[in-house]
Amino acid sequence: MSAFGLLLLVLIGWGTVFTGLPNVVVLLAVAVFGLLVGLLTGSIDAHLMSALPSRIVDLMSNDLLQALPLFVLMGVLMNRLPVASALFRTGIALLPRADASAPVVGIVIGALLGPMNGSVGASAMALARTIAPEMRARHIPLATVQAVTATAATLGVVIPPSLVLILLGDAMLNAHSIALNVSGRSGRVINTQDVFQGALLPALLFVAGALLVTLLAWRRRGPLVVRPRHAPLRLGDAIIGALAVPFVGGLLTSVTLGYIYPVEAAACGAMVLFIAGLVSGHVNRANIGPLLDETMRMTGALFALLAAATTLTLVFRLFGTDRLIADLIALLPGGDTVAVLVVLAVLAACALVLDAFEIVFVIVPIIVPPLLIRVQDATWVAVLILLTLQMSFLLPPLGYALVVTRDLLKGPASLRAMLTALAPYVAVQMLVLATVFAVPALTHPASPFAVPRPAPAAPLSREEMIRKLDDMLPPAPVAPSLN
Amino acid sequence: MRARATAGVSAALAASLRATRWLILPISLLLFLQWPLRDLVKAYAREANDLGQWMFALYVAAAVTATTRAKAHLASDLFAHRYAPATRARLARIGAAVGLLPWSLWLLTAGASLTLQSVASLEAFPETTNPGFFLVKAAMWLMGLMAFLQAVLDVWAPTDVRRP
Repeated sequence: MSAFGLLLLVLIGWGTVFTGLPNVVVLLAVAVFGLLVGLLTGSIDAHLMSALPSRIVDLMSNDLLQALPLFVLMGVLMNRLPVASALFRTGIALLPRADASAPVVGIVIGALLGPMNGSVGASAMALARTIAPEMRARHIPLATVQAVTATAATLGVVIPPSLVLILLGDAMLNAHSIALNVSGRSGRVINTQDVFQGALLPALLFVAGALLVTLLAWRRRGPLVVRPRHAPLRLGDAIIGALAVPFVGGLLTSVTLGYIYPVEAAACGAMVLFIAGLVSGHVNRANIGPLLDETMRMTGALFALLAAATTLTLVFRLFGTDRLIADLIALLPGGDTVAVLVVLAVLAACALVLDAFEIVFVIVPIIVPPLLIRVQDATWVAVLILLTLQMSFLLPPLGYALVVTRDLLKGPASLRAMLTALAPYVAVQMLVLATVFAVPALTHPASPFAVPRPAPAAPLSREEMIRKLDDMLPPAPVAPSLN
Repeated sequence: MRARATAGVSAALAASLRATRWLILPISLLLFLQWPLRDLVKAYAREANDLGQWMFALYVAAAVTATTRAKAHLASDLFAHRYAPATRARLARIGAAVGLLPWSLWLLTAGASLTLQSVASLEAFPETTNPGFFLVKAAMWLMGLMAFLQAVLDVWAPTDVRRP
């Protein structure tokens, strides 16, 4: 029955795309259907159902997950406060009067605020509300505004300490622990900090590349029909910029370098923004209720997804599907490079229909542990996963950032025009992904010469490989002990 | 009679959510305070964390239902935006009936004894022995209960109006 789990995966894809039901409902319905089939066929012992409550309690008592509502609150507050708009105007005023200034500033602000917004959707929403109108007011074509907004919205995926990075760091920690235990390799288990630091150089490379292609594209395009007037720097904007840039930059740097924990940084950011909102009057008695409601709704959406994914992975384990997938990955021919490529291709395909959080919660725990038993460099794998996710968010026709941005910024711009404007950014993403794939040292900025070398190709028999993989995954929960 | 009952349940859920939404502010404060308490005061950081932990558990337990009521769960609208409103409403009812309702029942039945034992013994946090871990387990059961009640409302008394 382990192959039945693969059918459940297909059902999830079908349900997500064709029913229009919330992803969490599709995941739960498929998990419940799988459980019922397992109970009716005798593949699942009814006592094992008691593992679910313990798993949910584990989620609720996870220190790292406390960051979730804090990031959401920061994103919501950022939307209410004029920080992004003020930073945009300050950037425009400081840069020379050029047509490319607006998209350049848009990308820089995406890089600065993206990691604090929580998710690609939240970033797209924030940038569409703040930066996009400023660009449109400067007569930037809508297709370009859409492309820049979509690209900037994905920056939070790769720039630390975004929520996706934090959660992927946790998932990689679990996957790497399993892989090290089974393979018997010595070595330190990867942690969130490693993923932060590993993602830093590739993220900087992408931002630099995106800025470069923006400048080149505008040089080729020629001047705008209506040239915007050069707006002088306003005192209010300058003050906000002078306070916000060092604060946000300092917070991001402190977390990336490990001086403070991500949860504390998120709490600090949320508190400072909340107090700033109260002092400036942007948060008041009239709008605090809706603000808290929005925070709660977005937090609930993410946590529900997490709970649903936990339920589904439990059902997979009860069917033994995780072991089947592990066996398949272990037996992939063509060496470790091919195994990494296959896993990245699977993730990219999943990202066309699943959100980043679903991929981190559902797909990564299933396919990454067997990959890490073959490939030693867990940080490199984590960064490749991040870059693949980021790229797939922009790929037509289903890329999440692409779809959300076009929905938020409706207007007279064809999909073809937007894709033409987006193409240089996707090309840069592909280039960065290929570069990181070829040069794993880029993900080890602190010790570029101490990159873990791939394990020597010890010839393992098929039986030995299967036995190792069967040992690799923890056994399915046994009643009555929980989880 | 049925209408009054569903209205009563809906009002009770709404009131619970209105009260719980404020928890995000003390959670933010407590989790921020961990940092100065650990590095400057050098005391009470773990207490702040444990306090924040059970508040977080209660908050997310309620947040799941807040999202369901506001119809704000993440969804892919690729093809469904072409469906008629009646079809979408029917799909939503089916989704509640085959997804959230049985899942919440699973959580409630399988988690009842775990929660009862923990609450009866006023279970403390395992690492710090600070009191309050039973509230985390109670929050798990509360999440199941609220999700169950909301699913019942969505199946038997659905509304297209976004609720608070």
